[in-house]
Amino acid sequence: MIPGKILRFLEQHANVAFAGSRDRDLVPRGHKVCGWRVAADQRTMTAFVAEEFTAGLVESLQDNGELAVTVEEFPSHETYQFKGRYLSDRPVRHDDVEIVDRIRKRFVRSLRTIYAGVPEDILGAFVSNPSLAVEFEVLEVYLQTPGPGAGTRLIPPVES
Amino acid sequence: MRMTRLPPEIRPVLESGTPAVMVTCSADGKPNTTVISQVYYVDETHAALSFQFFSKTIRNVRENPRAYVCVFDIRGQAQWVLQLEFQRSETEGPIFDAMDMQIEAIASMTGMSGIFKLRAADVYRVLSVERLPFSSR
Repeated sequence: MIPGKILRFLEQHANVAFAGSRDRDLVPRGHKVCGWRVAADQRTMTAFVAEEFTAGLVESLQDNGELAVTVEEFPSHETYQFKGRYLSDRPVRHDDVEIVDRIRKRFVRSLRTIYAGVPEDILGAFVSNPSLAVEFEVLEVYLQTPGPGAGTRLIPPVES
Repeated sequence: MRMTRLPPEIRPVLESGTPAVMVTCSADGKPNTTVISQVYYVDETHAALSFQFFSKTIRNVRENPRAYVCVFDIRGQAQWVLQLEFQRSETEGPIFDAMDMQIEAIASMTGMSGIFKLRAADVYRVLSVERLPFSSR
């Protein structure tokens, strides 16, 4: 179950995400994620994948089910990785696009100081248009904020 | 268009210090996705990535040498996708020294001084490179 602190991070602060899958030959592949949604049970997550990054994704997920999604807040670099198992996929809906638009605004706000002088529509274009929604069951959550604690498994907790 | 050599236009993107994303896969088939601070241009057919912590990424590429890297070019409104294969790790020499200097500069620009520290320069062979324009342009 995704804890409340991380849920708030996902809903209020995170502004960049990327997913990883692999094919049957263990060749990894990446997919830009433009938005995300956590189900009420806090066990399943839906990632909205950019249309230029969907090639081969559904085939790989149907073959082996393995998915990892890393979500970051830029520029604080607070980062978590969600690993899990594919459940389903569908085209994006209007309410998914609304979530992506909110994240795009959040992302542009975070970049204003770094890319001073670059028009907001150029910055906002980084958050691509999504075309595919992938729902997956979150089985593990890792801390990935840069530093010595990076890579620590948070969910399920590591037994000492 | 997919290429097998790094084109000249990718160099300024790699040298801009823009963060990139890397995907690896363990021998038992678990993908791992991580943000990386630096992709270093070695030559037309090789790139080097920084090895800073004993991470899952480092373990994965030693088990399964294939790696995927995506470099973002916000000003160019595109991303560069690289398929790589791990070749070797260097702890001294010109590639290591240049990456060490660059990583210190990135750390100081991003408020990560004292956290980013280069342990080794991992050198990869470029299998393919492709420029993907942002779909929202």
